[in-house]
Amino acid sequence: MSEIIVITSGKGGVGKTTTTANLGVGLAMRGKKVVLIDTDTGLRNLDLLLGLENRIMYDLIDVTEGRVPYKKALVRHKKHDSLYLLPTSQVKDKMALQPEQLVTLCEELRADFDYILIDCPAGIEQGFKTAIAAADCAIVVTMPEISAVRDADKIIGELGRADKENIKLVVNRIRPQMVRSGDMLDMDDIDEILSIECIGQVPDDELVVTSTNRGEPVISNKESLAGKAYSNIVGRICGENIPFLEFSEEGFFVKLKRVFGW
Amino acid sequence: MSEDVMFKGSRYGLQLVFSDTAEFSSIEKQLKNKLESAFNFFCKGTVIRVAADRLTREQTAKLAALLEHYGLALKPVDTLAEQAADLKKAESAACEEIPGLHETTVIEKTVRGGEEVICNGSVIIHGNVNPSASIIAGGNIDVRGTCRGIVHAGAFGDNEAFIIANHMMAMQVRIAELIARAPDHMEKSEQVERAIVRNGQIVIEPAERNEGERE
Repeated sequence: MSEIIVITSGKGGVGKTTTTANLGVGLAMRGKKVVLIDTDTGLRNLDLLLGLENRIMYDLIDVTEGRVPYKKALVRHKKHDSLYLLPTSQVKDKMALQPEQLVTLCEELRADFDYILIDCPAGIEQGFKTAIAAADCAIVVTMPEISAVRDADKIIGELGRADKENIKLVVNRIRPQMVRSGDMLDMDDIDEILSIECIGQVPDDELVVTSTNRGEPVISNKESLAGKAYSNIVGRICGENIPFLEFSEEGFFVKLKRVFGW
Repeated sequence: MSEDVMFKGSRYGLQLVFSDTAEFSSIEKQLKNKLESAFNFFCKGTVIRVAADRLTREQTAKLAALLEHYGLALKPVDTLAEQAADLKKAESAACEEIPGLHETTVIEKTVRGGEEVICNGSVIIHGNVNPSASIIAGGNIDVRGTCRGIVHAGAFGDNEAFIIANHMMAMQVRIAELIARAPDHMEKSEQVERAIVRNGQIVIEPAERNEGERE
């Protein structure tokens, strides 16, 4: 049974697209058939992160407006055979895509793919409403920062109103040292406000920046701690029980233990 | 878009307040958006007062139909006459019965940021009230979790109303016409606390729930 997952956050710049790209590559590395749909029409980035920009022929809007069948618009990843990207238009805007069109398309894609990941635009307007319409479940990405957590709270409320009850949390760009010194929210603080199941804690890692610029998601880099964290999230999506990463020193780990009760 | 339409609690009940300068079509549209957005959780049958003296009869009827569609009732009022009565300090006129004032609504979830719960009676919340969520109740408010939002008890002027929470960390506590805001730096309180009005001020004190209220 295939699963449609929307990756959303409310606030911009917390790492929705980075998370989508990494989870996509990670799932493909495990042999799953995956399609990534970029719904950030007009501000598309997912193709860049995957290094597929120059292979785009048609886009999502061409498909939903019936100009081409979706198979023509899919871009196969250069390294991972089972990973496809459905890019969106850089010319049109969010009004070009209606929720019903995306729902119909995703139902068609279900037959061919194990995972359909939808990269949601920032905000809570039309683009967001369209992106979540088709999803079976949602991954909310946030950062240990007060505004990102507040926005995540709002988004969780919005998802609830759209009857999306299966919501998981990924906390991105954690800086363990700042958390230890009390200068950054820790998992306790975040969990107290959001109180939803956390499936990932990703440290802030310079390798994410360099790999983004090269168009090769950090998950394929064995050296990177962020890559390792993403690959653990992939495992958890596949139903494995993986403990959270230890960020080098005791303090943070002990706290994590307390949050998740093990 | 600027907000021309608001719901406000007064001692007479919940009132739809709109700006004098706004076009009727824009008032109508904004009201519809507000009701449609579901940010606001209205209890069924909630009575909304509308200043009918500032609208034509057709306009009042239109708003009434719109509110009715969402399970709310419109009560036309003459705000000018009320203001005049207020000036005369006709306190006895304020003792008008507000429907549903003694009913209690139970909400079985966390109220998240941006959500608004509005009730004529009392509210019990089995969950948290998150930052920038707001609860407006004609009666008391009981939060069986952490309260970090804005809570307004006795919104129609009942200063006997109280607010009780497992962890009282509200941004603002409002009772009747009084407002207290949280200190800029607040520690999480580990015990049940109650906010009440004493000597014309809101005070927060340790509390225990009555037997009957306990989970």
